[in-house]
Amino acid sequence: MNRTDSGPGQAARTGIRYLVLAAVSLLLVGPVLWMVSASFKSLNEILVFPPTILPTQFRWDNYARIFELQPFGRQFGNSLLVMAAVCILTVVLSLPAGYALARVQPVASSIIFVVLLSGIFLPPEATIIPLFLLASKLGWINTLWPLIIFTAVLTTTPIATFIMRQAFLTLPPEFDEAATIDGAGRMRTMLQISTPLVRPSLASVVVISCWYSWNQFLEPLVYIRDVNLLTVPVALTRFTDTYGQPLWNVQMAATTVSVLPVLLVFFFAQRHVVAGLAAGGLKA
Amino acid sequence: MNRTDHAAVAAPARVRPPRVRPSSKNRPPRDAGRNVFGYSLLAPGVLGFVAVGGTALVWVFWLSLHSVNALSQKKTFVGLDNYVRIFHDPDMKTVFPNTAFFVVLLSVLGTVAAVALAVLLNQKLAGINFFRSAIFVPALVTMVAWALVWHFIVQPKGLLDGITGAFGLDPMPWLRGGTLTLVVFAVVQMTKNVGVNVIIMLAALQSVPEDLLEAARLDGAGAWARFRHIVVPQISPAILMVFMLMVTGSFKVFEIVLLMTGGGPGVQSSVLSFAIYHEAFELNDIGYASSLAVILFLAVLALTGIIWQLRKRFVYYESD
Repeated sequence: MNRTDSGPGQAARTGIRYLVLAAVSLLLVGPVLWMVSASFKSLNEILVFPPTILPTQFRWDNYARIFELQPFGRQFGNSLLVMAAVCILTVVLSLPAGYALARVQPVASSIIFVVLLSGIFLPPEATIIPLFLLASKLGWINTLWPLIIFTAVLTTTPIATFIMRQAFLTLPPEFDEAATIDGAGRMRTMLQISTPLVRPSLASVVVISCWYSWNQFLEPLVYIRDVNLLTVPVALTRFTDTYGQPLWNVQMAATTVSVLPVLLVFFFAQRHVVAGLAAGGLKA
Repeated sequence: MNRTDHAAVAAPARVRPPRVRPSSKNRPPRDAGRNVFGYSLLAPGVLGFVAVGGTALVWVFWLSLHSVNALSQKKTFVGLDNYVRIFHDPDMKTVFPNTAFFVVLLSVLGTVAAVALAVLLNQKLAGINFFRSAIFVPALVTMVAWALVWHFIVQPKGLLDGITGAFGLDPMPWLRGGTLTLVVFAVVQMTKNVGVNVIIMLAALQSVPEDLLEAARLDGAGAWARFRHIVVPQISPAILMVFMLMVTGSFKVFEIVLLMTGGGPGVQSSVLSFAIYHEAFELNDIGYASSLAVILFLAVLALTGIIWQLRKRFVYYESD
């Protein structure tokens, strides 16, 4: 590649870029490193000022205490279950809907799209009161059902449908038309011709719906009383002493543990998300 | 509209995706199958959404017209009294401006930061993958975890006081209300979400055709001109999406408020979403909380509606 801009100015620019990237990374990763460091400290060391960067003595028993103070393994399982269910439900609902809005465009699909869009912009706090009453009537209080059904239907599916629609819109219509001319049915065209081309967006949908369901806080806070049915985020807030003050070290240990599954999902999906649509087949 | 059914002949006329025009009554018969197919794809998602969402919205509006006794579950119709109460509630003179502060600050700064970081991370620099992963790290942490960690950091005699102390500054009242607390919240919220937005932007940036950029470069367009006239139009759908996600997301500064200050001192650090939770589930004032929820819904609807109407001016779709 012939670059016209080179020389000492270029070197300085590269230096500035690294500086900005390093500063931003420190702001974003620093708190997580601080969390891991604090998770190994004794409660006494936590309160030392100025704070120590690394624990003087590694207290691995903080991690054991997570499971003594709460049924954390169980709560973890609850979160994983909700995450998987929301994820699957979201993909199943949003892929065909996004395809229909972008490529099939039946009568009034633009109105349907606007209605669905309102779901992206519907804050959970706006509907939590009637949904709580609805969950009571359905006998869903103290169950995981509202965390799965309400979230998938109201929150993740609209976002996912929007993403899938945007993705399908960027495919040239010739793809579908060629497949139809070649005799592929509508369903086959969608699943076998178009869907593989939007895999990066599909990965984004998986990431975003996992991310959203794993992050749920208001919903379990409102729907669930039983400590055995809590999901991880609310459980994290319950690592307190008898006065309600946070047990910082145990809390940070639990928080560290809570990061692991999302990390796995991320490293599994990362290349799909980052590899752009162009690499997916349009250039071929 | 004498479109023949012969695809080979019709093809040149259909460079853009076929748009359904509600006005054209005499649609070719093949559209019937298209509609059935389209609706059957849409039905599960849309019907579920409309059933649950519609019920919730009608219900919350209905509740907002009542005074609800949480214990006996008795409802008394009070008309618009709850809405009148919002105007006279001195707490709301803090809650609403706080909410607006986050909406404006987070949506604008959040979108600009996402574009800037994505452009920076799209460079071919050594070790760029490390930074790409680093920027996504907060998104891997739950919002609650992020709020708890930051709560720990801004504790009196915490890490932040340690850092400011190293520069010779006195400990600051990070969480004791006022603008400083709102700024702390804004930083916590923005750093949490920026990674996801950057990933969306990066994906868009990488789908910008390289030959378009190369052609512009050959035509003598500088880096800024290429960015402004080629990259921005190409990624404008992603910018729109991130901006709208940020606008709506900024109404959801909830976990941070609940976990770091509980809205206090007084209501100094409270926002609308927290006030709804507080009134409904801590004070059991279901009717009043519902009226706040309706206001929240209308505010989000109005804002996103306006942005959506303006999108044609700023967003470039190849099919248009």
